[in-house]
Amino acid sequence: MRGNAWRFAAALIAFAVLARLPVGLDAGFQFDAALAVIWAFGILSLVLLYGYAGQVSLCQATFAGVGAYGAGMTVASLHGGYLLGIVVGVLFATVLGVLVGLPALRLHGITLAMVTLGIALVFDKYVFQDHLFDWFTGGAAGWQVSSASLLGISVDSSKHLLASYDVLLALFLVCAVLMLNLHSSGAGRRFRAIRDSELAASTMGVNLTRYKLLAFAMSAGMAGLGGSFYPLVAGSVSPQPFWVFTSLQLAAIGVLMGVRYVPAAALGGFFMAVVPDVLTRYGHGTFLNRAYEISFDWFQIAVGVLLVLQLILLPDGVWGDLRSHAARIRGALRFKRAGEVTAA
Amino acid sequence: MTMLRLRDVGVRFGGLVALNDVSLDLNRGEILGLIGPNGAGKTTLFNCITGVVQPTQGSMYFEGRSLRLVPPHERARRGIARTFQNLQLWDSMTVLENLEVPMDAVGRRNTFSDALGLPFSGYSERAARERARAILHVLELDGYGDRLAGDLPAGIQRRVEIGRALAMRPKLVLLDEPAAGLDARETERLADLLRTVRERFHVSLLLVDHDMSLVMRVCDFIYVLDFGKVLASGDPAEVRNDQKVIAAYLGEATPELSAGEPVPELVSGENPEVTAPRKEPGEVLLEVESIAAGYGHLEVIRDVSLSVRAGEVVACIGANGAGKTTTLRAISGVIHARTGSIRFGGRDITGAKPERIARMGLAHIPEGRGLFPRLSVEDTLRIATDTTGNRAPLDLAYDVFPRLKQRRRQAVGTLSGGEQQMVAMARAILARPRLLMIDEMSQGLAPTIVRQLFRLIDVFREQGIAVLLVEQFVESALEVADRAYVFEHGSVAHEASAEELRRDRNLISGSYLGATADETAAIAVASNGHSNGNGHFPHPDLMEVVSMRMPAALKRALEERAEREGRTVGALALDLLEEAKR
Amino acid sequence: MSAFAAYTIIGLSLGGIFALAALGIVLIYRVTGVLNFAHGAMGMFSTFVAWQVFYGYPHPGMPSWEVTAEAILAGLGFAVVLGLFLELAVFRWVRNRPQITKAVITIGVLLTLQSAASLIWKNNQYHLPIYIAPQTSTFMLAGVPIGANYIVIVVAALGLAFGLAAFLRGTAFGRAMRAVSDNPTTAALWGVRVDAVGAVSWVLGSVIAAIAGILITPFINFDTTSLTLLVVDSLAAALIGGLVSLPLTVLGGFVLGLLETYPTIWIQSLGLPRLIALLVILAVLIVRSPRGLPGVAK
Repeated sequence: MRGNAWRFAAALIAFAVLARLPVGLDAGFQFDAALAVIWAFGILSLVLLYGYAGQVSLCQATFAGVGAYGAGMTVASLHGGYLLGIVVGVLFATVLGVLVGLPALRLHGITLAMVTLGIALVFDKYVFQDHLFDWFTGGAAGWQVSSASLLGISVDSSKHLLASYDVLLALFLVCAVLMLNLHSSGAGRRFRAIRDSELAASTMGVNLTRYKLLAFAMSAGMAGLGGSFYPLVAGSVSPQPFWVFTSLQLAAIGVLMGVRYVPAAALGGFFMAVVPDVLTRYGHGTFLNRAYEISFDWFQIAVGVLLVLQLILLPDGVWGDLRSHAARIRGALRFKRAGEVTAA
Repeated sequence: MTMLRLRDVGVRFGGLVALNDVSLDLNRGEILGLIGPNGAGKTTLFNCITGVVQPTQGSMYFEGRSLRLVPPHERARRGIARTFQNLQLWDSMTVLENLEVPMDAVGRRNTFSDALGLPFSGYSERAARERARAILHVLELDGYGDRLAGDLPAGIQRRVEIGRALAMRPKLVLLDEPAAGLDARETERLADLLRTVRERFHVSLLLVDHDMSLVMRVCDFIYVLDFGKVLASGDPAEVRNDQKVIAAYLGEATPELSAGEPVPELVSGENPEVTAPRKEPGEVLLEVESIAAGYGHLEVIRDVSLSVRAGEVVACIGANGAGKTTTLRAISGVIHARTGSIRFGGRDITGAKPERIARMGLAHIPEGRGLFPRLSVEDTLRIATDTTGNRAPLDLAYDVFPRLKQRRRQAVGTLSGGEQQMVAMARAILARPRLLMIDEMSQGLAPTIVRQLFRLIDVFREQGIAVLLVEQFVESALEVADRAYVFEHGSVAHEASAEELRRDRNLISGSYLGATADETAAIAVASNGHSNGNGHFPHPDLMEVVSMRMPAALKRALEERAEREGRTVGALALDLLEEAKR
Repeated sequence: MSAFAAYTIIGLSLGGIFALAALGIVLIYRVTGVLNFAHGAMGMFSTFVAWQVFYGYPHPGMPSWEVTAEAILAGLGFAVVLGLFLELAVFRWVRNRPQITKAVITIGVLLTLQSAASLIWKNNQYHLPIYIAPQTSTFMLAGVPIGANYIVIVVAALGLAFGLAAFLRGTAFGRAMRAVSDNPTTAALWGVRVDAVGAVSWVLGSVIAAIAGILITPFINFDTTSLTLLVVDSLAAALIGGLVSLPLTVLGGFVLGLLETYPTIWIQSLGLPRLIALLVILAVLIVRSPRGLPGVAK
């Protein structure tokens, strides 16, 4: 119980600090901040599914997208309130999670990765773009959510970005605390047992079917929760933010940051949303009399290369060392890397 | 009261019969042992009982209830727990957490109350933790509670696995090779531990292990499996004295293998006879000094030293799990020796890559023959010549093994065991290594083929190829070897010339069947009571007759005749031998 | 009827591309244990190199076939370098890691290649008119005119498949590759240079991916992402072959190509083929899941 009290206190402090960050910055950065939390939800969902339960998934952005479209559809097409939209978005995402989890019961590792990649591609190119699903996606233009309001935050008000960010941040921190509690709880132990040895887990009494489906459902729901805020933040939904490459980036950055750690999600989200924009704005100029421009592509190259390096050099690969000193080293490196990337 | 009842359980994997009509009874409070040579089906039986594998026939009852269609996690709830031969701990979790998972699972704890930090769950968490600590205390693992399971040495990990099984409040615990990787002292402590566990936790145990001393010491009742069938059963004394059991362990073909296999013309005429004088061994070719090696956390060999000279044939003998195979793999580079050094032809090869070592002239035919199932015979032989660079014509091999020429386009995986061994040996003929290491050459082969293969080894020696031989079947190995190392519990227990060992079979059978150096029970029974009180040994040829593999038809004929005449098989065989000599 | 025939030709040539790409995937997977998600990205980059040579630089006075040849050689040359680089710098060091780790590494490679390409060539739609045969020449088959370039693809796919099979069967190195793919540890014990075999398989795989990319370009407007994502269809074709059998993989490619093309007779949808590929993946994996795929370790 004492541990939990500390976690809540830390979360409150984190909220107090982080909520102030985008104040005074322009709308572009405030948008980034909100987007950062949405992607942080995506990576957090991967921490649960892959980091805790050992199930590879390359379609987390798809779950977020389903949440986004679900919310958009509810608000723009069915004229429900935004709160209802969030519920619908999460529900749709969770159902999809269970459906994706079903083949996962029989598949592992690379075959599961193939299936989830296929799902990400199908939703990106087909479900999110085909006229067959216009009722869900709002057609080629996507849903326009211009006059929705949530808890008094109105989309067309000037403060809406900051307010959405605050709500998102609060929800994220709640989820983060719950995840940390989950890790050391009975359910969390069962997830980790499945990850470390499915054979032993089932022989020692863990119901594999129930827990794998649970992991997929919870993970998809979490990604969907973040995604369902997207229309509120952006004012519209389109397939582009939720395409295949976003799912791949979520996986790459999640693994790079440490897919077993909750804080990795937050940091990863920050990188995904903020760094590209920073690079676009400030990443150009002249150096030694030659014009240069650092665009988002450089960031992604860095992510790819770092991911490859990390997987080669850490002795146990993706399943890195969980020992405290490795975590400390990685923590130090994370700060170092963060400094390098934003130094431009 | 019968707790576990298996009736006519059979398991088939495609064409392979893993278990055949196995029936078994385990009573409450018993420690039941399950032994048998490699591949006998013991782990498959465990997998059947825990629900990981479905039997294709037969029935299983636990406490009177059928286990049909019951999934593994449900069987755990009913009280069946197990440990694993290759250690399936949850490495990234602490020892306490490893114990808590089965406790929760069986106790049906609520998933989410922990996550929400509700007061009640905090209470039951603490209670569970206390119970886990209590179990650790009985197992003498206090202080390891918060250590990560993956960080611990193998001996400790084995005990943690036992603790995890006990945490489930099971009624029956299946122990799969708990003594693997343990040395003699640790094994003794394990024996005590198992008895303590039975007393304190009121569980029944079903134990599988290769370590005879452990099994004989601890078990109330033993079943012997061979090739998926129950060969014998009884209390330890009965089993140890059972002819069939001794034969199975010391080396006798079973009907399934040798039935119907025609005796091939293996070695064609040109080769020198066995009785050609053995040359004096040359300079030291292989020098292994104090190596230790293992797999993951399992340390299988510790402090093994041996040497082989050019022109020598050296045998490594000893029970399963003693470290012979691991030693060979450490020499050829498949696994890394953690300490010590290995020198070949004067050069240090410790830690070198296997392909480099092979190209230096050290060929290793591993257990299972080390072939490529999907490649044809011809392709495989070509690879042998490809990698040595000499363009030896394949006919060199076909002359020795004409049968292979007939089958040269066939995939190696479809050949019979004997033919596969021919392909493996053909590699030595074509590649002409300086040292050839062969692991369990005679496994699964009919005795006539085995005899011819051993003659081939003699031929290799004539041609200057040194041979290091690992054999479970002692007699054959000792016949062709100059020297032998006896392995026990991961190191070399004795080294002697083949002569000395042949005279002192005590040493060997004691090592195999868990007898102490003084017991001659195995030999006495093999000679069917012909040993006199002084401990003199029976006629050497009898040992050969009983322990060399016989074709099934011959064996059956002997047994039938012995029964008709009211004598024992051994005595009959002895008489027949005397007759044949005349 | 002739519409059906036309769709069949298109389906077969699309299938030929899938078959080619899948061949590369299965080759690399069998020999090195790496399921290369970056296969499409590798082919994409080599194709863009060819494009760059073709369109990016002036070729004064050179006949068009020479320019074409030069472009193709450049693309294939780059593929060789790329394959070699990946083996020497990356995959040699992770030979004994779990398959999923190696696969995640290929995701990193995918992202790197894709963004590098995006950096150089931006996100425009491109057209690369590398026609092996003249664009307008056609063959008549059963009264149906078939564009020569479609035939080129099918011939190339089959030709490469047979060529690869002959190489694997008839040469010493091919034997070595089959040995490593059967069992790398055993192969090492026989003295096979596993590292060299790994390098060659990566180079071959990369070159095959480049060929697939170059061959498909005359028929579509492509960008950096669409070629990269062809890997999913190639994976589906590879799965039909169980990740083991080369002939079945080629067959799987053609079958998938037809399956993806025929529905477009009735349903106009850009995304539907993707769904079909996914359904094939699911079908193969679920049907074979109790005993697993022959090529994939449990």
